[in-house]
Amino acid sequence: MVAALTSLWRRDRLSALAFAILALLVFLGVFGPWLPLGDATQVAAGPRLSPPTWAFPMGTDELGRSFLPRVVEGIRYTFLLATVAVIITAILGTLLGMLAATVGGFLDMVVARVADVLFAFPALLAGLLVAAVVGPGAASVITVICIATLPLFMRVVRSASLSLAERGFVIAAQVAGATTWRVILRHILPNVMSVAIIQITYALSIAMIIESALSFLGLGAQPPRASLGSLLQVSSVYLTIAPWLVGFAGLTLSLAIVCVNLLGDSLRDAVEPLPGRTLT
Amino acid sequence: MRILRYLGPRLLLAAITLTGVAVLVFISLRLIPGGFADIVLGPFVTPESRAILTERFGLDEPGWVQFFKWFWALLGGDFGVSLVTQQSVIAELLRRAPVTGELALLSLFFALAVGLPLGVASAAATARGGGRIGRTIGALGASVPDFVLGSLFIFVFSVWSLGLKAGGYTPFFEDPIENLLGMVLPAVTLGVFGMALILRTTRDAVLRVLTEGHVTAAVARGETPRQILRHHVLRNASVLILTVSATYFGYLLGGAVIVEVLFSVPGVGFYIYSALLNRDYAVVQGGVLFVAVIFVLLNMLVDLLYVVIDPRIGAKRG
Repeated sequence: MVAALTSLWRRDRLSALAFAILALLVFLGVFGPWLPLGDATQVAAGPRLSPPTWAFPMGTDELGRSFLPRVVEGIRYTFLLATVAVIITAILGTLLGMLAATVGGFLDMVVARVADVLFAFPALLAGLLVAAVVGPGAASVITVICIATLPLFMRVVRSASLSLAERGFVIAAQVAGATTWRVILRHILPNVMSVAIIQITYALSIAMIIESALSFLGLGAQPPRASLGSLLQVSSVYLTIAPWLVGFAGLTLSLAIVCVNLLGDSLRDAVEPLPGRTLT
Repeated sequence: MRILRYLGPRLLLAAITLTGVAVLVFISLRLIPGGFADIVLGPFVTPESRAILTERFGLDEPGWVQFFKWFWALLGGDFGVSLVTQQSVIAELLRRAPVTGELALLSLFFALAVGLPLGVASAAATARGGGRIGRTIGALGASVPDFVLGSLFIFVFSVWSLGLKAGGYTPFFEDPIENLLGMVLPAVTLGVFGMALILRTTRDAVLRVLTEGHVTAAVARGETPRQILRHHVLRNASVLILTVSATYFGYLLGGAVIVEVLFSVPGVGFYIYSALLNRDYAVVQGGVLFVAVIFVLLNMLVDLLYVVIDPRIGAKRG
């Protein structure tokens, strides 16, 4: 592990840095409640809207709560919702993509069309519709993320599986009498894993953007829960008198998404390098 | 004739897609907790007013009859009335559509004007073994959420105005210059993501085309890099760039909710969002349908443009 990280650092500093920051954020998110960062819920722990001090490293919010544990709480909730949603879509989208490519025919056409429509439809608009039906909260956030990221997996896995379905080992398995499910799980799945994993990183970054956007509009995390987006929503009211609140929450959120995207890029470069050429 | 053969199936699919969206929207209207009548009339409903409403909206008829009546009205351009103001939804949407359209066009312009040259430059740098700057800009632009960037702009420009306005909307025909000054910040906020998208797409597309045989042949013939780029690389890369730009434009037309709310631009997204806050679900659904229609029409237009850029597409697929 350490050796792999050192070699990554030598080869590609940017990705190694992104990986380190992300690891730190995940650590904070998972173990935050047990770290000595202060109490996220204690009202009037200090003065209201205090600038960063030693006691309150990120200042205090409008109720005098220390902002640092609030941000950690936000990381926790944003990462949690994004991860749960992406696990659901990754499994569902990969299965659908493989099934469409292997079975073909009508099912394949339906999957391809649904992926096209979902891929392009504005996620936030779907979010408004879902929030109208389901009501604001975690369920509608996860639903919207699933709607928005499902096509990523359906498309890529489908096209990867299409070429696999014609390969000798798949046909041999079918001739030997393997069921469709066995072909999909034993022969196709191991070969589409790498493309699916790349999509997982992109889906995670989209998921975090959607979660925080919905929370920013008041349709995601409901108080007393805090996500990075809902923290931004509340503190943007005090943008002109306490800009550091928006600054810390926004910076944390952006940093998390940038790191996930950078990791996705370097994974993709490793799997599918695009060398190009010079023109002279 | 060939064009018709190419477009025919696409028109059919567009119709199917829109019908599907309409069915979903209709079902979701009926699914809303509390039921349609309770939402319209509020908690203190009398049996008499409930009866009037039931008659007016035909709520006692079976679901599929209601659907076909609603769908028939929809085909005639009737998107229903707002539950709160009782005014026509489509009239309000059409009044606001140009505002969102202007914002979307400006954002697309920014994304293309910055993203295309950066993407080509980044591809050239990557081919020489570098390309780290392009990669970082691409990742940054795709990552910083629009409300974070927008908040940053509002903070910076409310302190130092620099001639631009953060928030406050002036109609274009009242004062074009004032209008544009007010639209710059929302458009850039919205366009940064598109810039990153176009940058990445352009870089990947160019890198892919560069390794193809006809480029090697052009290099061997001794054409200048500029010529090769213009005639052989960019023309081939443009199909992919066009697809992504069109998808992005569709996203802009419907997905500008946050930026419109943040900068108080009275567009379609703002309208749908405030309707949701007022529990005016008829407007939410009318608005989603409206955006879906625009979206599908836009995709049709792009399918047509493909044929213009790459005649092989029209000839190949039946």
